[in-house]
Order: sequence, then structure tokens, then C-alpha cells
Amino acid sequence: MIDLKLPRPAAPAATVARRADTRRRDRNWVLALVLLLVLEVLYFSVTVSGFFGNGSGLLALSEQFLDVGAIALGEAVVILAGEIDLSAGTLSSLSGIVMAVLWQQQHVEIWVAVVIALVLSGVIGAFNGLVITFFKVDSLLVTLATQFILGAVATALSGSSPPYGFPGSFVSIAGTGTIGPIPNQLVVFAVLAIGVAVAVSRTRMGRSLALIGYNRPAGRYSGIRIERTVLGAFVFSALMAGVSGILVSGLYNAARDDIGNSLLLPAITVVVLGGVDIFGGRGRISGVIVATFVLGFLTQGLLVAGDSSLSATMVTGILLIVCLVLKIGLDRRAGLDVRAMLRQRIARTSGPRRAGEAS
Amino acid sequence: MTMPFIHRVQPKTAAAPEPTAGGSGPLVDPPPASGARLVAHGLTKSFSGATVLDAVSVSFEPGEIHTLLGENGAGKSTLFKILSGLYPADAGWLELVGDRLPELTPRLALERGIYLVPQEPTLMAHLSAAENLYTGVLPRRRISALVDWGRIRKDAASSLERVGLDIDPETPARDLSIAQQQLLECARALVHHCRVILFDEPTSPLTAHETEILFGLMRALQAEGLCLGFISHRLDEVIEISDRISVLRDGRHVASFDRGTVARDDLVTAMVGREIGVRTRTRRTSDLASRQEVLRVEGLSLAPVFTDISFHLLSHEVVGMAGLVGSGRTEIAETLFGLRSADRGSVRIGERTLGHRSPRTCIDAGLIYLPEDRGRHGIFAEVDLTRNVTAGIVPRLPRRWGLLNKSEEERGASTAVARTSVKTASLGAAINTLSGGNQQRAMFSRWLMAEPQVAILDEPTRGVDIGAKDDIYDIISDLAASGMACLIISSDLEELALTCDRVLVVYEGRIVGEVGGAEITTARLGELVVGAGVR
Repeated sequence: MIDLKLPRPAAPAATVARRADTRRRDRNWVLALVLLLVLEVLYFSVTVSGFFGNGSGLLALSEQFLDVGAIALGEAVVILAGEIDLSAGTLSSLSGIVMAVLWQQQHVEIWVAVVIALVLSGVIGAFNGLVITFFKVDSLLVTLATQFILGAVATALSGSSPPYGFPGSFVSIAGTGTIGPIPNQLVVFAVLAIGVAVAVSRTRMGRSLALIGYNRPAGRYSGIRIERTVLGAFVFSALMAGVSGILVSGLYNAARDDIGNSLLLPAITVVVLGGVDIFGGRGRISGVIVATFVLGFLTQGLLVAGDSSLSATMVTGILLIVCLVLKIGLDRRAGLDVRAMLRQRIARTSGPRRAGEAS
Repeated sequence: MTMPFIHRVQPKTAAAPEPTAGGSGPLVDPPPASGARLVAHGLTKSFSGATVLDAVSVSFEPGEIHTLLGENGAGKSTLFKILSGLYPADAGWLELVGDRLPELTPRLALERGIYLVPQEPTLMAHLSAAENLYTGVLPRRRISALVDWGRIRKDAASSLERVGLDIDPETPARDLSIAQQQLLECARALVHHCRVILFDEPTSPLTAHETEILFGLMRALQAEGLCLGFISHRLDEVIEISDRISVLRDGRHVASFDRGTVARDDLVTAMVGREIGVRTRTRRTSDLASRQEVLRVEGLSLAPVFTDISFHLLSHEVVGMAGLVGSGRTEIAETLFGLRSADRGSVRIGERTLGHRSPRTCIDAGLIYLPEDRGRHGIFAEVDLTRNVTAGIVPRLPRRWGLLNKSEEERGASTAVARTSVKTASLGAAINTLSGGNQQRAMFSRWLMAEPQVAILDEPTRGVDIGAKDDIYDIISDLAASGMACLIISSDLEELALTCDRVLVVYEGRIVGEVGGAEITTARLGELVVGAGVR
């Protein structure tokens, strides 16, 4: 009475299906970014004297933008989950200031001060996350508000003459020291980046993160613990912002309350350039890592060549637009209709419409 | 295959005056109201691979009520949505009063006088009836260009009167009953001087009395010479109201009947495409001694949606839950699954009583829920099949050295996908590249991976084509045979009659009846769902 069906033999892999293979299309974008990075470095090495510097010059330049990279790693996690964290920039300042003030005024051992600053960052991230999940306020608004609060507190704490002149061991390890030709900051960043990449693609938390970014209601109906996952993402983003603040302090050998917020938009740019969907779900951390270097070397290359930072910013904007247009073109070739996707997403977020698809 | 029909009513131009039923209109304010002939030529539409409409040609004549009939998924609503500009057609074109229409948008359709009264009213809940009437065309004062509220209030009252809606124009739309909301939608169509009004299953949530009121209005509009399109599943009312009936099956236009030339049985045969009763299923009766209770629900309440829901499920059992849209079926299921918090009541799954439930604790206790709205609550559209299928068991995914073991995961997913015969080229394909039926099979695979004892399936065959439907019934009886208890929520009474051992009937948030065995017929269920057994 019940005929058990044998599985039908799978159809031969059609080209259409292979193109729409989700893993392939994101990998292609990362490869395109790598190519862009290579071309860019070659171009500046040939045309700008002092850019390549026998390789070590190039590596040393990376110190100038790894603070952005650290924030981007955290921001990528939050954006994957379909949220955004605007407070990461000023939190970075606050973290550096707290560490410096503890060390200078309270005479706390510098590494203990670092740990305290990071713990405080995590707590602030948890605060963001709790307000967002518990009161269901949009993350854009919550973090916009905490951005102001943290920025004001950081400036107030730093006083008229911010602390400077940290112990040499700190400046060497977290700042300008090197292992051979490789800057310590690059090592720190590499460890963090690989950790985040593995965590996102290979842990249950990372899986939940991406799924709720793609379709949050479906995640809820599948038993994913949304609140916990979102909270985790904000704590993580805040920790990365904290790390970034420590790196800034080490690099300048001074606490800077004025730098943090200028890191936020470049970090978000890096995330989007890296192929992460600003609406959540899709994207790879490897793309974000490569994009950090693409954008960083571009800016540094222009600055070394003597262009003003204004023109560097302008070129960044142009690069971002060109890349996004290219990416949408690539997606369309891969059988993805981006506009239809956007429409769906907007329909999904606006109002409780329950239209049946086809009847 | 369906080219011009011969009609009772002689062909008219748009400018022609009142048709046959002259002089019956108690109508104030006659706009250029005479109807307009709307013709669809070869409309074709598919959704993610599944063809929903296949070269359908139909015409809507002035002064005529034209009904589309067909099973769920036959393409009726899709056709109306194309006619009113909500969906673009993949192929085919529309003709209005002899002119070829450009590709429609909802706004353009409204300007041309085509209005869809949707299945579920789409009024703005917080705005007043009057404001809802004029959304999009607020009349302005001549000089200041400010909205002319005085005029709105005056005109709204007369428009509401015209559709027989006796309410204060200032009433917020959310305070109106569904029936009143539908009348308001009609009034809205009249305010926009619409000449073609399409009703997508307006009667399914209405009582018999409310239906009569609506039909009265439809006849009055018909007498004015408007074109009326209608969709309903209730054959008797279709025969009563329609001048012409077109039957769709699997997206094709298969038959047309004029008033008086058709009997119930002809319609059914045309809709189903075969003699009824071909599909029979041996009902599993209580022959299995090993049955045990796997779900017990006791006094579950959530004001104001449902009250005092109690029932139980045995292993190997397929139980249906019938009821009208809005009767509270889906809300009961969502509450069981921990998506909503109940006010009162207890739920026991297997041996465990779950007090505070979340979807996660339910899944882990052996209860799963297949949601009704697959697009919003089921699939992760752009995500590959593997991650879609394993999404329900993220905490149980296989790991090695603390990290997800992806090849192991793929192996599990491919086994689950094979069990429900999902047709796909690769597990890496995004799920939205599959047809509706295959997406639904993948949803079954997801929940098979969780190894549940109890499965709540909400409209399990919604939006899948007929062939896939049969396969889904096979999957369900397969699950029951393996010992699982299935609770099927469905608006398709025939589906319930076909698959269930028992059917619970929900009416206005209460279980008002239970039928079992040979008593399960569409006729009996049809009576119960509209509250026939309620004092």
C-alpha cells in the first residue's frame, strides 16, 4: 500500500545549475579581488618609488591600515548576520584611551590594562546586542546612539593632553615592532583573520550567523537561536574594535581619541568590497581579508606617490562603485537576478504580507 | 485552444450605454461606468521553474460575471494578478476595449480601470475607511493644492452607501470585519472609476449571509455593465453567480461553460482532469497494537486567537486539521512549536512535558513544523541545498576537532534529499533554482534529518504542481508508516479526506468537531469548517 520510492538518479549536472552553484560564485569574487590586489601592487611598485622598498617597505605600509582591517573583521560578522555596527569606530578610540588612562593614571600594568580595555569592549558590545535583541530596536539606530556616547566618553577621558609614551615592550609587540621583515601587527591581524574565517565557515555559530542573515524568519522557524547569535556577533564586533584601538595606540605610541571614527566607513567599505552582502547572509571572510589589502595598498600607494588624502578617498569611492557594478554583472551572468533579490528582501522586511506564491 | 466564445450578451463598445438590465440601478453619481472588454492573449508565467500559467487566453465581457475555477495551484490567482499588474507575464498580452495594453503595473492597471479585490484585503489598517478609499488619488483643493478633506468625507459617504456599507467613513479599516473590508475594496474600485473588478476568492472567509450581501453587490455592479471576474472553490455558489465559467488545470485553460449549460460533476471532472476516486488510499486503521501517544495537547489557549485546544496524536497516525483561513489553525501550530507563547495549556511530546517552548527545544524533543509560507519561513532562497537541508539541526551538525565536517554534512544531506526524491543537479545549487515541488521536498528532507516523532505540516502541498502533490502524499504516508505522527493543516478538504485517519475541525479558534474513518468526506468537512456544528 505504501510504495517506497527509490531515489531517482540525479540529472547530469546542467551548466545552469553549476553556474548557480553558490560556493563557486563567491569564490570567483575572491579570486577577482586577489587579481586586483596583484595588479595594484605591481602598478605602484613600478611607478611609485619607495612603495615596494624591497618588500619590507610594502609590508611596513600594511601597519597603516590594519586597524581598519581589524574593525572590518568584526563588522563583517555583524553584517553577515544582517545587522550593522556603527559604534565600532568610536569604541576603538575608547578602548585605546581606557587602556592608556588605566596605565598612566591608575598605574595598572600595561598588559593588564589591555585586557581590561578588551573586556570593557566586549561588555559594550553585549550592551548593543542586548538592546537590539531584547527591545527589538534596529541595530542602525542603537549603534548610532552608542557611537555618540562612546565618542564623547573617549574624548572626555583622554583630557586635554592624551597619554603617550607607552612601555617599549608594548610599542614593539602591539605597535611598530617586526619579526624579520614582517610587522608584528601583520602577524596579529593574520591570526585574527584566519580565526574569524574558520569560525564563520566552520562552526555552528558561523553557520547560524549566515543563515539568519539570508532569511531571519526562516532561521527562527528552523530553530536557530536568533537572539543568541546576534548578541554574539555584536560582542565579537566590539572585541575587534577594542583590538583595533590597541593597535592604533601601539602604532602612534599615544592614545588617540580622534582616529577611531574615521576608521568606521573604510571598514564598512572593505566589508562590502570583500563581497559581503550588505543585507546579510552572503559573503566570505577571505574576501574581506583580501579587500583590506586592496583598499589599504591603494590608499597608501596614492599617499606615497604624493597625492593628497582627499584624492585617495575619492579613488576609494570610485573603486567601490566600479567593483559593485562589476559584481552585480557577474552575479547576473551566474543566473542571479539581483534586482529580483532586492525586491524580495524589501517585500520581506516591509509589513506582514502573506501572499501565496502561486495559486 | 480557447479562442473567442459566442456570448449571450451582444458585443458592445466601451461607449455603449447600459446593457441588458437597464433601469435597475439605484445609482447615484454615475461615472463613465460601463464596462470594458478585457481580453488576455496567451498569458504564460512561471515561478522558479514551475509553470503556473501556460498560454492562457480568456476574455472578460461587460455586464458579465466570469468565474475562474480550478484546483489549488491551477493558476487562477496568478492570472488575476497579471491582469491587475501585480505580476508581469512571461509571455502573452492584454487587450482592453480593443487596445493592446502596455506592460501593466498596479498603478497603470488602476488608471486603466482594472481593480483586484485580493484574497486577503490589503487595506491600510490604521487609516480610516475614507482615507483608504482615496489612497493614491487624494483630491486636492484647487489653489492651495492641499488635500480636500471636506470633499473626501462627503464623497466617501456616498461611495460607501453605493456598496451598501453602512459605516462611519472615519472608522479605521482595522475595525472592519473581513466582509466589510471587501465591500470597502469594492467601493475603492468604484472611486477609481474601475470598469473591470476582479474578486480573488472573496467568499472563503465569509459566512453564508455575508456572501449573499457580496453577491447582491456583484449583481448590482453587473447591471451597471461592469466586467466582473470571480474566483471561488465553492461549486454551488459558482454555479449560482456565474454567467460564464472557465476552468484552469495545471496552468492551462481546459474548458468553458456558459450559464445553464453546466452541472456540478462536469466542473469537477474538468478541474481534476480525471474521474474522481481514481486516487484512493488504504486508510490505516487502528490495526497496529504498538501505537502510543506521541503528542498530547491540553487546554492550549492564546487570547484572542484560540481557546482551550486539546487533542492527542498517536504514532503512525495522520491527523488533519481543517478550518477556514483565519480560524486559528496556523496560530495553534505556531504556538505548539514555540513560535508564540501560549497563555495557558500544556504540551507533552513523547515522554517530555515542555513548559516554555522554543522552536529549538521542540525540534530537540521531536516535534517539527513545516511552515505554510515556504518562501518567507521555509527556504533560505539563495543558499545551497546542503545548508538548507541541515538548517534544522545546526547544533547537531557533525564535527571533527571542533569544526564542522562538511563532507560528513553533505553525506547526511544527500541521504535525506534522496529519501524525498529531490531532483537537483547538485547539492551546491541554490534552492531557489528548484521548482516549487522540489523545494517542498527539500523542506521535508530538512525535517527528516531532525528525526522527529511528530510532524506538523501546514499546507504541505501549497504552491506545488499536481504531480509533485502526489509525491508529497506518498512522502507523508511513508513518514506515518515509519511511526511518525503527522498533523496536516490544509484548506484543501479533498487533500484531508485523501490522506487522514482522523480530522479535527477548527472554527473560530476552537476545535468544534472530530471525524474519523469513513466519515471523512469533503461534504462533511465542508459543513463543519463553516461552523455548521456550532451552537
